[in-house]
Amino acid sequence: MAVCIAVVAKENYPLYIRSVPSENELKFHYTVHTSLDVVEEKVSAVGKVLVDQRELYLGLLYPTEDYKVYGYVTNSKVKFVIVVESSNTSLRDNEIRSMFRKLHNSFTDVMCNPFYNPGDLIQSKAFDSVVSSMMVQAC
Amino acid sequence: MSIPDYMQCAEDHQTVLVVVQPVGIVPEEEFFRIYKRIASINQVSIRDSQRLLYIRYRHHYPPENNEWGDFQTHRKVVGLIAVTTCNSAKEWPQTSERFHGQKEVFGPTLYDSRLLVFGLQGEIAEQARTDVAFYSSYDKCEDVEKRVEDFVESIFIVLESKRLDRATDKSGDKIPLLCVPFEKKDFVGLDTDSRHYKKRCQGRMRKHVGDLCLQAGMLQDALVHYHMAVELLRSVNDFLWLGAALEGLCSASVIYHYPGGTAGKFGGRKPSVSQAADAGKRHRPGALTTNGISADTSSEIGRAKNCLSPEDIIEKYKEAISYYGKYKNAGVIELEACVKAVRVLAIQKRAMEASEFLQNAVYINLGQLSEEEKIQRYSILSELYDLIGFHRKSAFFKRVAAMQCVAPTIAEPGWRACYKLLLETLPGYSLSLDPKDFCKGTHRGWAAVQMRLLHELVYASRRMGNPGLSVRHLSFLLQTMLDFLSDQEKKEVTQSLENYTSKCPGGMEVIALPDGLKLPPVPFTKLPIVKSVKLLNLPVSLRPRKLKGLLGQNMATKSPFIYSPIIIHNRGEERCKKIDFQWVQGDVCEVQLMVYNPMPFELRVENMGLLTSGVEFESLPAALSLPAESGLYPVTLVGVPRTAGNITVNGYHTSVFGVMSDCMLDGLPGVKTSGCVVEVVPALPRLQLSTSLPRSANSRQPSSGEEPSSSVSVQLFNGESQQLLVTLENIASEPLETLEVTSKMVNTKEKVFGEFLTWDLEGALSQLPLKPGQTVVLTVNIKVKLDFSGQENLFQDLNDDGISVTGLPISSPLRQVLKPRAENKPMGTESGKPEYNQVKMLEAVLHFKYSGGQGQVEGYYRELSLGVHVDVEPSVFFTRVSTLPATSTRQCHLLLDVFNATEHELTVSARNNQDVVLHASECQRMAIQVDKFDLESLPEPDEERLRFASPRQLEEERQQVQGCRINAELGLVWNIPSLRRTGEASVEGVLNQLVLEHLQLAPLQWDVVVNGKPCDCNIIAECSVGEMVPLEVRLTNRSKNAVGPFSLNIIPFQDYQNGVHNYELQDAVTFIGSNTFYIDTVKPTEDCNCAGALLFLYAGDFYLNIKFQDDSSCGRDLPLAWFCLPNVHVKAVDSPF
Repeated sequence: MAVCIAVVAKENYPLYIRSVPSENELKFHYTVHTSLDVVEEKVSAVGKVLVDQRELYLGLLYPTEDYKVYGYVTNSKVKFVIVVESSNTSLRDNEIRSMFRKLHNSFTDVMCNPFYNPGDLIQSKAFDSVVSSMMVQAC
Repeated sequence: MSIPDYMQCAEDHQTVLVVVQPVGIVPEEEFFRIYKRIASINQVSIRDSQRLLYIRYRHHYPPENNEWGDFQTHRKVVGLIAVTTCNSAKEWPQTSERFHGQKEVFGPTLYDSRLLVFGLQGEIAEQARTDVAFYSSYDKCEDVEKRVEDFVESIFIVLESKRLDRATDKSGDKIPLLCVPFEKKDFVGLDTDSRHYKKRCQGRMRKHVGDLCLQAGMLQDALVHYHMAVELLRSVNDFLWLGAALEGLCSASVIYHYPGGTAGKFGGRKPSVSQAADAGKRHRPGALTTNGISADTSSEIGRAKNCLSPEDIIEKYKEAISYYGKYKNAGVIELEACVKAVRVLAIQKRAMEASEFLQNAVYINLGQLSEEEKIQRYSILSELYDLIGFHRKSAFFKRVAAMQCVAPTIAEPGWRACYKLLLETLPGYSLSLDPKDFCKGTHRGWAAVQMRLLHELVYASRRMGNPGLSVRHLSFLLQTMLDFLSDQEKKEVTQSLENYTSKCPGGMEVIALPDGLKLPPVPFTKLPIVKSVKLLNLPVSLRPRKLKGLLGQNMATKSPFIYSPIIIHNRGEERCKKIDFQWVQGDVCEVQLMVYNPMPFELRVENMGLLTSGVEFESLPAALSLPAESGLYPVTLVGVPRTAGNITVNGYHTSVFGVMSDCMLDGLPGVKTSGCVVEVVPALPRLQLSTSLPRSANSRQPSSGEEPSSSVSVQLFNGESQQLLVTLENIASEPLETLEVTSKMVNTKEKVFGEFLTWDLEGALSQLPLKPGQTVVLTVNIKVKLDFSGQENLFQDLNDDGISVTGLPISSPLRQVLKPRAENKPMGTESGKPEYNQVKMLEAVLHFKYSGGQGQVEGYYRELSLGVHVDVEPSVFFTRVSTLPATSTRQCHLLLDVFNATEHELTVSARNNQDVVLHASECQRMAIQVDKFDLESLPEPDEERLRFASPRQLEEERQQVQGCRINAELGLVWNIPSLRRTGEASVEGVLNQLVLEHLQLAPLQWDVVVNGKPCDCNIIAECSVGEMVPLEVRLTNRSKNAVGPFSLNIIPFQDYQNGVHNYELQDAVTFIGSNTFYIDTVKPTEDCNCAGALLFLYAGDFYLNIKFQDDSSCGRDLPLAWFCLPNVHVKAVDSPF
């Protein structure tokens, strides 16, 4: 399961970032932040070809020694980033995709909340619990 | 080979390496000047051959890298230029020795070398030597470039000969095996005759020749050789060299495809002017002509066949790198290849693939790296990421590099370098150090990451020994990241900020760094947060007021129209900035800020003051301490404008945690202001008021703007008067030139008789102009006269004597019966008591309008007001008033039921009447004989009043004047001996119309003159018996209409004083003439006399009753009181015979 899940706004600032508490949180901030370079590159590369039929899932953004970083971009350019441990080989691409889909659905629910201002940090409990369900349970 | 050259790029394969080094003692500055000049010769066009030779200069080159020269010839040092200083011939041999020593270092690979000697003159210098050039000084060496070009050409000759040498002997003697340093021991004992070995030798040699061709400018040949080498080496699985051959192929292709170079900004080749000029003539392999076809057809064929396409270049690079990867010792080569590939990809704009190469480069292990190398490696990674547009990644590595600079393992941490590198990471984290970029809305960014970076900047700058910088960065952190700091962090940050500022207070100046970066000041607009700014009007008593006339003039000039929507609109816009009150020069002005403290602890703000423009302004700073997480907290900032004009409040300055901040209002989000521009009018005098009576707190609710600034209060009994001394002191620096005093009653539901406040201004005015510091005293008399008798019904018991004045016939002598009321009737019921003890309030405001100085010239004045508050306690009042006719028609008796409403014993006295002593709550009747009043003679109200007042008002006013007059005449005075207080008792309130009528002198004045003596009630006319007594009746008409005719009948009678009147006096009195007088019509203001005579026959007391004959035709409409004739008392005495 994921060790860090982040939602990044269109303007590339974090709307939501959560990582397993056992780890150094700042490290994940750096990881997600730098992964945006790749996301931007991928989006702009794809954007040239077909905007409409672009797949939202971006796949593996980059691997590091300990982690793999996956990306997903909604049509409104909101980015989802999931960091998983490299040692976790049981995770298939499909599972990552389904995680992103779940995340996207939950995010859509957040956006549907009339009391949520787009652009604010996400503080929804429902979203939080969805994220928690996808995170590595720290024991 | 352990030291990678991160600056390498693909086209470096085509260069020859020349090392330029100082020998002996050469000033560094001079050396680099010479080095620069030498390095400018980086490409030389070779005569005859139309080829270009590229030269790479290094001033430092590790000799172990030179050992890899066979592997890739561009790593081989082929030339050495030594620079030396030699001041005397004596030193020369030593210098020469050193030069040779230097040559030894790169000995085996050098093609040629040069020595540049500076400073030597004389014999030795005149020797013509090819390998040594002498210059007298560093400034006089014009032909250095020429020398270097010659040197390069000589290198070319060696290179070309080597190339030809190697290229031709393909099948001759045994080809030597070229190898890299770490391979040498591997080949010991290998069968040198095997095909495999031979092929290996061949392949390696091919590759080597390819390198030489590339260096010598023969690109096509190089490509061919590389292709062959690849084939040969692939067949023998010589991976290291295969990688090298592939890389060579790539390099050649890159050189072909990208003649501009791939190094980008990192010191790439500069196409010199000369090159551009003869570009057409010169045949440069691969260079395209204008029509896209190379001039040389042979190269055209070769290109098609041998040159790699841009995609292939990357493929081959990948392959080469994967081969290099097999050898641990070739880490540097692999790394450099990665860097080169990334540069190519950057040109091709294939960032994703480039990032993969870089990712790979990150993991290449070069064994133990020194800290310096690590830094270099990280910063080059950062640069490369930047090159491919991955700014965040670039920033990440730059930060790592910065941290490496100060790694704990380093003996002397390079804080300066660390700081510099950290600054360079700022754009990558989208952080600017200008707080203005953060004031728009909420901060959006990677706060955690940015905060970390700012903390690091703070720490680095502190370790650099620049506390000013630390303070600036820390302030920035606090200001911009406040929302993201936890309470604990807030505490820590402010604590360290305070520590720093104790050494170096923060200010508002821009800090310029040596490398040109400017750190703008960081004003603490959030410590505290200001929510609203409101300019306060002056206190009412100090407000300047414009004289009405001048104000009107101003309005008139604005527009000729009374109303125009357009003008209103314009004014509205003006008004939103300018406030419609004024401040006064020299007077303390206030601005109210609503602030709150976002910190979880008490915030001490020192030196908080206003920033203004437009007018010279003396700000009086305040210090405040805001409790933790306070709600909105009002803060008043004060200052004194020193000149007149329009003042704009631009902002405020604070000093928090030792950091001075100037906060401009227009830069603050969400600040509510109601305008910041206000007019300052010229200085006006200022009066300070003190009174002889105690001041009362301004307890009343603030009802309107016309609140008096201070007020005095006093308790008085009704009718009492009190003197109030008002002392006015001019406490401003302007002289007081005019002073006006007016008064106004407030809330006058009560009817007040007489003037409440009176004063005499003359004395005060004579002292003007009042210089600063001087005082003037004004005496104000307070006199309270109120009507407390409103509750007549409660005094029914006093009326039980049945005497009712109103209903009695006027002329009845029974009226004279005066029953003195002996019995005292104390107030019976307790319940009724409070009502009379009700204290009534009288309030008035005294307005002092004054002006002076420059402000007066401009038409301003000030108004000071003093509230006078009097609690009026009832003293005595008259529960009932009635009149009785007196014996004289000119007089009458006034009956007053006096009630003592006080709790003290008091005495009441009227003029020339005895005192009446009244106990508390006692009621007594007083009788006072009064002369009737000629009320008609009172002054008429003037024309002006007549016109505007309603008849009812006029009537009231008239009554009031009459009452006043009567009151004055009566002079009723009460006195409380126990309190030593005296006052007037007023009857004004109780006088009703009927009583007034009785008190009034009738308009028809009847005078009876007996014996030439006017005769009234108490006067006894004396006459002698038997003598004719002339009787005259005179009527004076003072009314407005003509009256009459009347007929009078005179009836004499005798009073026996026992109630019996004897009218039968025919024999005692006789009339001479008629006993009936007839008076014709009397016109107003005229009089009429009618005379008769009497003859008394006996001595005795006689009365004459003059009666009107019932003449109904006239006088009906006239009130009875007008026909009031006195009874005439005549005493007839026997004449002394």
